[in-house]
Amino acid sequence: MSKIVEIKKLLFDYIRRDEEGNVEGITTAVDNVSLTISQGDFVAILGHNGSGKSTLAKHLNAILYPTEGTVLVDGKDTSEEDNIWEVRQAASMVFQNPDNQIIGQIVEEDVGFGPENLGVPTPMIWERVEKALKAVNMYQFRSKSPNRLSGGQKQRVSIAGVLAMQPKCIVLDEPTAMLDPSGREEVIEAIRELNKKENITIILITHNMEETIYADKIYVMDEGKIAMEGTPREIFSEVEKLKSLRLNVPQATMLAYELKKAGVPLPDGILTKEELICHLS
Amino acid sequence: MSLILDHVSYSYDVGTSYKQEALKDINIVIPDGQFVGLIGHTGSGKSTLIQLLNGLLKPTSGNIYYNGQDINDSDYDRKTLRSKVGLVFQYPEHQLFEENVFKDVCFGPKNLGLDEKEVNLRAYDALEKVKLSHDYFYQSPFDLSGGQKRRVAIAGILAMKPEVFILDEPTAGLDPKGSEEILTLIKNLQKDTGMTVILVSHNMEDVASYVDRILVMNKGELKMDGSPKDVFKKTEELSNMGLRAPEVTYIVRELRKKGFPVDDSAITVSEAKETILNALYHKILNE
Repeated sequence: MSKIVEIKKLLFDYIRRDEEGNVEGITTAVDNVSLTISQGDFVAILGHNGSGKSTLAKHLNAILYPTEGTVLVDGKDTSEEDNIWEVRQAASMVFQNPDNQIIGQIVEEDVGFGPENLGVPTPMIWERVEKALKAVNMYQFRSKSPNRLSGGQKQRVSIAGVLAMQPKCIVLDEPTAMLDPSGREEVIEAIRELNKKENITIILITHNMEETIYADKIYVMDEGKIAMEGTPREIFSEVEKLKSLRLNVPQATMLAYELKKAGVPLPDGILTKEELICHLS
Repeated sequence: MSLILDHVSYSYDVGTSYKQEALKDINIVIPDGQFVGLIGHTGSGKSTLIQLLNGLLKPTSGNIYYNGQDINDSDYDRKTLRSKVGLVFQYPEHQLFEENVFKDVCFGPKNLGLDEKEVNLRAYDALEKVKLSHDYFYQSPFDLSGGQKRRVAIAGILAMKPEVFILDEPTAGLDPKGSEEILTLIKNLQKDTGMTVILVSHNMEDVASYVDRILVMNKGELKMDGSPKDVFKKTEELSNMGLRAPEVTYIVRELRKKGFPVDDSAITVSEAKETILNALYHKILNE
């Protein structure tokens, strides 16, 4: 499998300056991180507020450049200015608030904005728009105004918008934080479909533990470093360690952990309610 | 002393062709000191409802009474209402603006026309309540972490000494530990000061463990009103409204269906643990 993301010894400093431009303080947000993600992987990044996960993500889209180290996206060095458009086309980002990302008056116009800017010929734009909207199950809303959509629907339109640029990798920074339970489910389902059917690499940043149980791999960040990495089962087996990193585990995992502590013979790292029910009955 | 909504309806853009009915005939009585959870999918009318409670919107029809007075009477003092019914918006830290934390918290009480000493006392007291370390009092609010900023924003409302405290998704975007800290803080404030809390949330697990009563909104109507156990029992109705019960509730219900003698009304991890352990114990005794 080809490598879509290669991060080598990445270090990033936020530099605070006073009004005269003198350096007031330096905060190292990402501290010597190395990781590789293969094309088609579904990777989740967890970490408390301020752990450096969003800063890391912004490097994949050339919004931020490394202070030290290198970031290669689809083989291209993100710190070279000539690569910026190729990098951004290979790895697209979806952010937390759908209202900040939607600009079109009607849904299909919004989704067409990306490919139009890439200079894609008009007939092909329509083709891409149709395909992207169908992929996130929003085709029936194509001529609606985005204002009239629910949060989950808006966020799926945002995903269609990046999809129409045909990226190899989509980075989602807390895409469900503002959504209600059904909106969350819709978005996560759409992401999983894209990963399975279109083989698009997914990098999902989230505070919601339930959303990460289908990932191939989870990275947990703390103080700019990678504190844990492994499969969801490996990660969620370490309940106490996650708690010390200000995180949590899915509720089914928590219940299994508590039962096990009370003497019920259960394996570590149960992830879903189905698994737990199966072991208990 | 309570908050009463009597046949309250609200429509947006009345008199235009865009008229939209956001709330239909809502009747609620909230006694003092209750911790109420308000749930419903996006667009169900939750935000409209809380804006009516603090007088930001006026009902199209019906009345809202606070401590026996109609808050929309022409001679009712709106300013006092807004200090008594405090509303913390979503992402309240976006509204921080002062040069330091302490000044930001002073803004509310200062606008109530209180003297400087009282303003300072209240700001100090509010920052103590949200457990923000003294080291941060004179820092710029923009240098704080997400969780700390949110505490400052909450302190800004607390400093007005509200009797009813309304929070619109106070934990959105916070890490699990940060969410727990904020909710525990609110719960303790409710217990210690006896204030009424109305919590808007999309997180059913949070609602299950903190509130006394749940109001469920759907398409502008109040669909359910009851204890967390009563509301989360109705999993099918909830699912039709785009909502769900906490994950553990589905686990105990499924176990019960499989003939496992558990109490299927459990809504928190500790309740589920208790009843499953009990059931296992009895199973062993019987074998």
